[in-house]
Amino acid sequence: MTSLYSGRKPRTGKVSLGKVESRENNRAAWGFLLPFLLVYFAFLIYPIGQAVVMGFYDLDLLVITDRVFIGFDNYFRMFWGSNMVWDLASMLEWRIAGMLLIVPIALGMRSGRVAKVEGVLYISLLTGIFALLMGFHPGLDGRWNDSQFWLSFGNTVLFVALSTPLIVGFGLLLALALHRPGKWVGVLRTLFFAPYVLSVSVLTLIWAFMLNPQLGLVGELFRAIGLEPVSFLTNPALAMPAIVVTTLWWTVGFNVVLFLAGLQDIDKNLYEAANLDGAGAVKSFTNITVPGLQRTTLLVVVLQVIASFQIFGQVFIMTRGGPNGATRVSIQHIYESGFRDLELGYASAMSVFLFLVMVAFSAIQFRLLRSEK
Amino acid sequence: MTLESSILEAPRAKSGFKSLFRPRKIRSALFLAFLTVAALVWILPLVWMFSLSVSANETLQSQTTSLLPVDFTIDNLLGVMQGGLTTRWLFNSLVVTSLTTGITLVLSAMAGYAFARIPFYGKKVVFPLVLAGLMVPREAMFIPLFLMFAEADIHNSYEALILPRIAAPLGVFIMTQFMAAIPADIEEAARVDGASRWVIFWRIMMPMSFPALTALGIFTYILTWNDFLWPLVSATQRDMFTITTGLASLQGNFAQATELGSLMARGVVASLPLLILFLIFQKQLVRGISIGSGGK
Repeated sequence: MTSLYSGRKPRTGKVSLGKVESRENNRAAWGFLLPFLLVYFAFLIYPIGQAVVMGFYDLDLLVITDRVFIGFDNYFRMFWGSNMVWDLASMLEWRIAGMLLIVPIALGMRSGRVAKVEGVLYISLLTGIFALLMGFHPGLDGRWNDSQFWLSFGNTVLFVALSTPLIVGFGLLLALALHRPGKWVGVLRTLFFAPYVLSVSVLTLIWAFMLNPQLGLVGELFRAIGLEPVSFLTNPALAMPAIVVTTLWWTVGFNVVLFLAGLQDIDKNLYEAANLDGAGAVKSFTNITVPGLQRTTLLVVVLQVIASFQIFGQVFIMTRGGPNGATRVSIQHIYESGFRDLELGYASAMSVFLFLVMVAFSAIQFRLLRSEK
Repeated sequence: MTLESSILEAPRAKSGFKSLFRPRKIRSALFLAFLTVAALVWILPLVWMFSLSVSANETLQSQTTSLLPVDFTIDNLLGVMQGGLTTRWLFNSLVVTSLTTGITLVLSAMAGYAFARIPFYGKKVVFPLVLAGLMVPREAMFIPLFLMFAEADIHNSYEALILPRIAAPLGVFIMTQFMAAIPADIEEAARVDGASRWVIFWRIMMPMSFPALTALGIFTYILTWNDFLWPLVSATQRDMFTITTGLASLQGNFAQATELGSLMARGVVASLPLLILFLIFQKQLVRGISIGSGGK
């Protein structure tokens, strides 16, 4: 074994933590870290800065050397429109739903889990976005500069809103059902998890045909119970729900694994004690299982939200964003702005926006991860 | 071979013949039967793909909804493996995924070793900085990455497919956690014997980290194999597609109605390596998922 640090002499006697030792430690540590840090900064950190900078330029994919600084024009194009007005009623349901996010933060502040300064910051941020900014919209005869941006972002949020409760809830139910000893249950766990290892293009291959009214099993099922088969993927009202169900089948196993790990961490003696005290199954569930799974549930929800925001492959392959833009999502809009319309600058600005939205959620996961220690 | 039967430590009830007829047992057996049916329905779509892949293309033009193969044939599968682009894509995926996984493991373990075992100047700054990388949603950053590789003119290459993937703060996090828990005395003994850090890392820390390495490895392997957006953006020449992007390119413009069996055979070929890996390493994968995402 050739050794990078073979220059050091064998130590004899007591290990002294002198200057030599710490200098050697520094050299060794940075040597071990260097390869990782290089790729880390080059391919993870630098691109973020690059995206921010590119977002201020007009940058054509075909002539990437020819860039024009245009300030905030890309952002203006994204967020603004003509004849903009503000009113309270615009998108009221979404804004109320957004404002409801304040409740868990306020609760966290009361219980002391969220710091005062931090809580106030979050609350003013949420109020600013949902109460104030979302009131703006194009007025009479006005239109968004890029209505596709809002359409695709709205669809992405819709997908997150539909898929998160469904995939998390179903994952929890499955985990509760599968949380029992025995080899056979292990086999069942394997079966439920298996779709997770498929790639997105295998998933779409299977489900595009599954949902095909003439060729697929779903159509066959409809016929068997005497219904006319429905063409899910070409129906604007049904395409997104169909994508959600496809995604549920694909990824629910991941949540099941996390919930099973969470269930396993609950002290079994608690159940025995409750049993001795005469508590029934329902009482044990609400008093032991539910609080015991709190942290896991929060983690799963956050991970699901992050994963759902990144939705792309399913719709890109199965519907191309159709029918009529009903399943067009943010990453697809960024992808097509960059590679079909060749506008890398504008695509970068949208990346920055999506980045910020997603970081807000992964920050929660990050806190959970760190609170571990 | 079963998914984490060890995850549950509760002892199994001894089921004597008599106890089989207690109401509780019956209820439990009924529930298991119900779960079994549900699980079978759950994997029907997968079974269907396998079944279509070994059915004759001609027959599939009139009948596609059978769960058993119609006019059984392995011609479709043989056709896929007899050269052509699909084999090339499979090879690309194999090279890219294996190299990515290998390099990720070594880089993560090296960094993890430094963070977990060596006191050094700057650790308090660098470690949180690396952890912060966990928050970066890389799917949102493909445009600047694309530009970076375009400027270096290395798109449509294995390097371009591999490099962005090996910057994995999650791997460093997992390896740091794991190596910090390895008892110090073995390493101390080796150091007293004069072993260098490099030797200790390869001869002691790496073998002792085997559980964490396999968990991280299988997780990385699956994510890389299934990566879609970056290969789609970077590898635009047909012969540089991975099996994942290649299979996607066939959907929509393939002569779907006439060669459904062949198409499904490609799906089988694309998923079989991972399904087999999954059956072998599912315990490790499950552990990788739960430690990697902040569970336990």
